[in-house]
Amino acid sequence: MRIALAAGILLVAGTPAFGHRLDEYLQGTLISVEKNSLHAEMTLTPGVAVFPFLISSIDTDADGAISQEEQAAYARSVLRDLSLSIDGQRLTPRLRSLRFPTIGEMKEGRGEIHLDVDADLPAGGRNRNIQLENRHQSKISAYQVNCLIPRDLAIHIAVQHRNYSQSLYRLEYADTDVRADSPLSAFWSGGLGWLGAIALVLCLRALFLWRQRAGRPGPLPENQTFAATLD
Amino acid sequence: MTTAARILPVSALILFSVSQATAQTATSHIVSAANSFLATLDGKQRQAVLFAFDDEQQRKRWSNLPTGIVARAGLSIKDMSDTQRNAAMALVASALSARGFEKVQQIMEGDEVNRINEANGGGRGRGRGPGGRGGGGLLFGKDLYYISILGTPSEKNPWLLQFGGHHLALNITIEGERGILTPTLTGAQPALYTENGKVVRPLAGESDKAMALLNALDESQRKQAILGFRLADLVLGPGQDGKTIQPEGLKASGMNDKQRAILLDTISEWANIVHESAAASRMAELKGDINETWFAWSGPTTVAPGSNITAYYRIQGPHLVIEYAPQTLGGDPALHVHTMYRDPTNDYGRKAAAK
Repeated sequence: MRIALAAGILLVAGTPAFGHRLDEYLQGTLISVEKNSLHAEMTLTPGVAVFPFLISSIDTDADGAISQEEQAAYARSVLRDLSLSIDGQRLTPRLRSLRFPTIGEMKEGRGEIHLDVDADLPAGGRNRNIQLENRHQSKISAYQVNCLIPRDLAIHIAVQHRNYSQSLYRLEYADTDVRADSPLSAFWSGGLGWLGAIALVLCLRALFLWRQRAGRPGPLPENQTFAATLD
Repeated sequence: MTTAARILPVSALILFSVSQATAQTATSHIVSAANSFLATLDGKQRQAVLFAFDDEQQRKRWSNLPTGIVARAGLSIKDMSDTQRNAAMALVASALSARGFEKVQQIMEGDEVNRINEANGGGRGRGRGPGGRGGGGLLFGKDLYYISILGTPSEKNPWLLQFGGHHLALNITIEGERGILTPTLTGAQPALYTENGKVVRPLAGESDKAMALLNALDESQRKQAILGFRLADLVLGPGQDGKTIQPEGLKASGMNDKQRAILLDTISEWANIVHESAAASRMAELKGDINETWFAWSGPTTVAPGSNITAYYRIQGPHLVIEYAPQTLGGDPALHVHTMYRDPTNDYGRKAAAK
């Protein structure tokens, strides 16, 4: 019966691809924002075809198993390839926990590496801007970055921006518990604070020099110098 | 034998049981079908099928991947006698609408196409069993679908019916007269095949209706709906329970009545998988949310005639997340699709469990 059934089925589809991730390293990141911290859940799934290129950077002693040291070292290498900032101020991502599949699971395209990452957020203005750039294995990776709906009702997501590959992600949100930004505080929290500080120092320096010169006898015209000498 | 021909005996069984008790509600009918199925099993099989209602591990033991790669628990179709198999499928059918059950059958039949292709030496990946590479274990086929019951089939207390395998994960919580179908994963590979000369596209409605919606939008609406970045896969697929992402795209409050009607019709492809009375109340809930529902699209904005779209799309509302994600995986994305259907507020009927 099954053979007859099978014979009745004609394929329009071509050769079926294997039912799991194949030729990409899928890196999904879900970001949750709280008042003073940011949490990122990273799920990294190597495809079957790219796994051979990746394994040497994970199983560094090539013994066919991923030791705890190798797991931690690989997680650190992922974190090194991330650039995370808020309002233009660089943040230091901290690894909170990690979970690795077996090499066998990864070979079959079903192995997911889970990294939980935290970062402290410095105090800032009402409107904030988080940026995440992921350069990890960029030649073979597909990235997906999303923000979870905040648990804190005072935090309102405004907009998410991404480049086409989602390797670059920017999140704009408002913390409504912080009073409305004045133009000055918006300037400072908008990532221009350092530029502003430098500009302010330069202005003060220029003012100081100008005052110094104003208080000192200036260079005189040739004839006056001569007259003074005669005095 | 066609899919329809195989459905007939099961349908006849259901109609017979329905005619025996015309006063039966949908839930009493499902409970009756569950008990009939359980009655066909021996002690060991019952043990394999039954789990505690609060068994979190079993709840989450579903995937888009073949069962040879991600093992499922419960009892597989291949380990059942013909009588048991008919009773199992009658149970699944009792919890679904006619179209929902047909969709499930077509997804399973698509996997049978994979099995035949593998047996004929096609395919990139050779059949590998869970035992290891080159073990020759089966990865595909309509027999590799598992059924399990969490809790005790009841007309009053909540219980959960699970049925799934490659590209299919039905999680149906029965709570009184309510039937909650979330989270449910449907998928297809091949997402287009012919059976006895007839073209079958298990997820045709999901593809065609979304395309119709995109085409119904004006330029300004399309600019909002179409995301400028690539989405390679489901964001809230297996393993992502209990998460709600920030919605994006075009909000339905900015659509006209005709566009909203197409959006609701697209949603119905998932909401109407469950049996008719449960689907009706679910659709009423989602219709009430419609102005707070978002539609986002990423990828090609055209489709070849008679084929599936190759773009990702997402529909998200206060009680809904739908994702449609074509898979490249080295092949034609029109032929390999994953979809996800969730209610972030009530996956696995958690509202009932909380009571």
